[in-house]
Amino acid sequence: MAQSRREFLKRTAALSAASYIGMNLPYRKQNAALAADADSWHRGSCRLCGTGCRVELGVKNGKAVALRGVKDARTNFGYLCMKGMHFWKCMGHPDRLRTPLYRESKKDKFREISWEKALDIAAEKFADSVKKYGNDSVAYYGSGQALTEETYLFQKVFRGGLQTNNVEGNPRLCMASAVGGYLTSFGADEPIGGYADIEKAHCFFIIGSNTAEAHPVLFRRIMRRKLDNKDVKIINADPRISQTSRIADLHLQFDPGTDLALLNAMANVIIEEKLYDEKFLESYVTCKKGKKETVSFEEFKKFVADYTPEKAAAICRGNMTPDKIRQTARWFAGSKGTLSLWTMGINQRKRGVWANNLIHNLHILTGQLLTPGADSLSLTGQPNACGGVREGGGLCHILPGHRLVAKEKLRNQVEDAWGIPHGRIPPKPGYHTMALFSAVNEGKIKALWVNCTSPMQSLPNVDLYSKGMRREDVFMICSDIFPTLTTEAANLVLPAAFHFEKTGVYGCTERRSQLTLKAVNAPDGAMPEVWIVREWAKKLAEKMDDPVISKCVEPFEGLEPDFALPKAIWDEYSQKLTSGRDNDLRGATYTVLQKMPDGVQWPAPTEAYALTGGTVKKFVRGMDPLADTHAKDDKPYQFYGHAHDDGKLWLWLREQADPEEIPDKDYPFYLSTGRIVDHWHTMSMTGRIPELLRANPYAFVEVNPRDAAKLGIKPGDMVEVESRRGKNFLPAKVYEGPTEGMVFVYWHDQHPDRLINMVTKDGYDPGSKEPEFKICACRVKRISGPKPLKPYIV
Amino acid sequence: MKRRVFLKAVAGLSGLLFLPCPAKAGKFFSSPLARNRLRPPGAVSEEIFAGKCIRCGRCVEVCPYKSIIPLDIRSGVYAGTPLVLAEKVPCYLCMKCVKVCPTGTLQKIGQEETRMGLAVINRHLCYNWQEMTLCRTCYDVCPFKEKAISLHELKPLIHDDYCTGCGICTHACPVTADDGQKAVNIESLYANETVRW
Repeated sequence: MAQSRREFLKRTAALSAASYIGMNLPYRKQNAALAADADSWHRGSCRLCGTGCRVELGVKNGKAVALRGVKDARTNFGYLCMKGMHFWKCMGHPDRLRTPLYRESKKDKFREISWEKALDIAAEKFADSVKKYGNDSVAYYGSGQALTEETYLFQKVFRGGLQTNNVEGNPRLCMASAVGGYLTSFGADEPIGGYADIEKAHCFFIIGSNTAEAHPVLFRRIMRRKLDNKDVKIINADPRISQTSRIADLHLQFDPGTDLALLNAMANVIIEEKLYDEKFLESYVTCKKGKKETVSFEEFKKFVADYTPEKAAAICRGNMTPDKIRQTARWFAGSKGTLSLWTMGINQRKRGVWANNLIHNLHILTGQLLTPGADSLSLTGQPNACGGVREGGGLCHILPGHRLVAKEKLRNQVEDAWGIPHGRIPPKPGYHTMALFSAVNEGKIKALWVNCTSPMQSLPNVDLYSKGMRREDVFMICSDIFPTLTTEAANLVLPAAFHFEKTGVYGCTERRSQLTLKAVNAPDGAMPEVWIVREWAKKLAEKMDDPVISKCVEPFEGLEPDFALPKAIWDEYSQKLTSGRDNDLRGATYTVLQKMPDGVQWPAPTEAYALTGGTVKKFVRGMDPLADTHAKDDKPYQFYGHAHDDGKLWLWLREQADPEEIPDKDYPFYLSTGRIVDHWHTMSMTGRIPELLRANPYAFVEVNPRDAAKLGIKPGDMVEVESRRGKNFLPAKVYEGPTEGMVFVYWHDQHPDRLINMVTKDGYDPGSKEPEFKICACRVKRISGPKPLKPYIV
Repeated sequence: MKRRVFLKAVAGLSGLLFLPCPAKAGKFFSSPLARNRLRPPGAVSEEIFAGKCIRCGRCVEVCPYKSIIPLDIRSGVYAGTPLVLAEKVPCYLCMKCVKVCPTGTLQKIGQEETRMGLAVINRHLCYNWQEMTLCRTCYDVCPFKEKAISLHELKPLIHDDYCTGCGICTHACPVTADDGQKAVNIESLYANETVRW
């Protein structure tokens, strides 16, 4: 913009005047106003994403008033994101559920009842269902946001008491493929390294993760690393140019679902140019074609020889060129430490486990593993998906301590620890999430307990599955803090205590367990889940006339629910059930966790060791106590994971596989969904915080400018996004984000017009059973010009 | 009525009428523009705005987001003229108002040329500049991301070559200081340019 000298001076003067407006206020006073004057600060971990930021809750006159980061925590170093800074506003919110609500029929209105009566009804319905329709007619659907103690106690009562393995949780929708990948490649679940590698890495390979949006605090660490070291390379592979791509040296854009070819082509370049670590491969690696089918490394070479960069670039399309693939492979293999990061772009896929395997393959091939800065790190979405659900036995096929349901020896160990007769835990795994809700649709499940999650919004193709949950003959209990789309379909709604209103442990991405102590009272009438389960189980034992059910909660009898009860549950779980397992938490007692500013990384067999912070790198002798005790030879790395008998890492031969639905003539666009920085999952919490709602009051669809020009879509126009399953009406954002031929929608909105899971597809990975949220085919049509929309919260 | 009484009464009445004169008259003639109080896109200089605008209300009517409100009688000679309250409902730059303005008070300009004001970040309030929290809200919502607002080591910077002053950042800013202030505000700098006749 041309401007004269006079204009420029004028504007400068005005600008400086404007920007110094706050200047006459004394500095300190203003800072103090921002930091909120609290009487006391209480440590805990953040309620929202899987990063595991350590926070302090400011309390004044018994009420929460502020949140701030803890500077000496090794996860966030004092930083927080906007969600993390504001979630305390949920605590005193007027919408909080305060009394149990009940209705006989789903057509009726809810009426308030007492806890005594609510638990009576809950117990009676579950007991009736078991007596009439068998043990597998009841189910629990939990959450990666429930505390470890809660998930553990729920699954104990369901498995040991009600004798069913129908214990599932929403981590099936987000982490299951990562679990499958770690087990099949490394032999043990959860990453080898952790966040500490970020500060030591020289190359970041970020694929299928919008870290900037979904894990903003980790993104800051990555960015800091790059700013401090100009030679650090960041490669971002994503069909969409996201906020994360902003700091990338190289952005690889491709058609959704073609990344398996890209990863195989990178392996091809690594082998072609002899960038692999021969010694590492010889000592620690087996090549696998199937679980029982071992092949030679020569055969692996032959397999990837087919995936030339030229062939992969043709499959991937987008901005991919053979040279870019070669460059990526060279940076990956040649750096002094390469850290791969991924989230749902890899996990929520028809071949999620394979995609995970292929990333691990690159690390195994190049030996970019176990050394400082080198790791294959799957970022968790939820704060306690790792700790509570993966370790605590919250999925249908696993028991606490990474034990498989199918193995009798392991079942017996659990039964012994619980003091219940052998054979109580049924040998057959229960329904996985998608099968569970199909069973609900078919009327096979008669009583369902949904805790701390909202499947009416978060399941793919949700219209289909919400029909089942609305069935009159399905009795649904929902325990939550706010009304959600799911409580709207429940028979019994139980008001739960929120984070910081109860005590318990969260376990984040990097095997780190952190304790949050109760700091404020829950609203009158809301109770901690551990209390709810204990009281319910006692009534259930009476109604079923089964002493084993009371045996399940006997050790917790009479304990007050705010501290003593969760402590007793944690002690039972960590001392009895993690001993001798890879997630050994015996050292991470409440006493130790209370002392640590940032928790403990397992394995941590003793208290003295746990007080050092635990294990930063698994499998490395001298760094991991279990690597020493499990050592079979004198090699520096010991892969003691229980899933691989040979104690080796497995290099997998996995072909490129198409997603379940690819665009065609009728539905020509790819649809992908994701998270936005200001909102958490189904928005039931963040939507009630005005500061966060204001930034993103409703979901929108991102359209590539070239597609928008073809379809006549202008910024802000209302657009119809339709698939074979359902349709949405959303405002458009025309933006050089998604690749041409793809649209992207945020999934937080609760309004039926903008609930994108009505459009997504419910196909799932045959291995991990995780649905393919990330890819389906849709068509896009402009319907009108801009329309003012109102945010919608149930 | 005696002449004397009549005159007295008139004097008294007019005295009463003009008593709060300076304050009232000031408001009566002073422009409503201020921080976050902006004219719609394409507005001519404030010096001639009130004279040129015929108060037809078409811009108010056409605005799909109800961003534009007509001022009421309390605004004196500016009553009936359009205003955007940026922190309440910002302008989403659909540019419909400029097309319907019959007098050219709102000139027919494009999105990029719009200069309703300039966003100014108060670094003493902004969470990022205070290094309290990682917030990116203003950057995320900006329709000219990277151009009008860029992030320098996660701290937002405004570039006046591109900032249209639409106020979307102000509306979204999560900061609410005790006095209701936002950390990013639109200053109506351009409205005060003098007209060269």
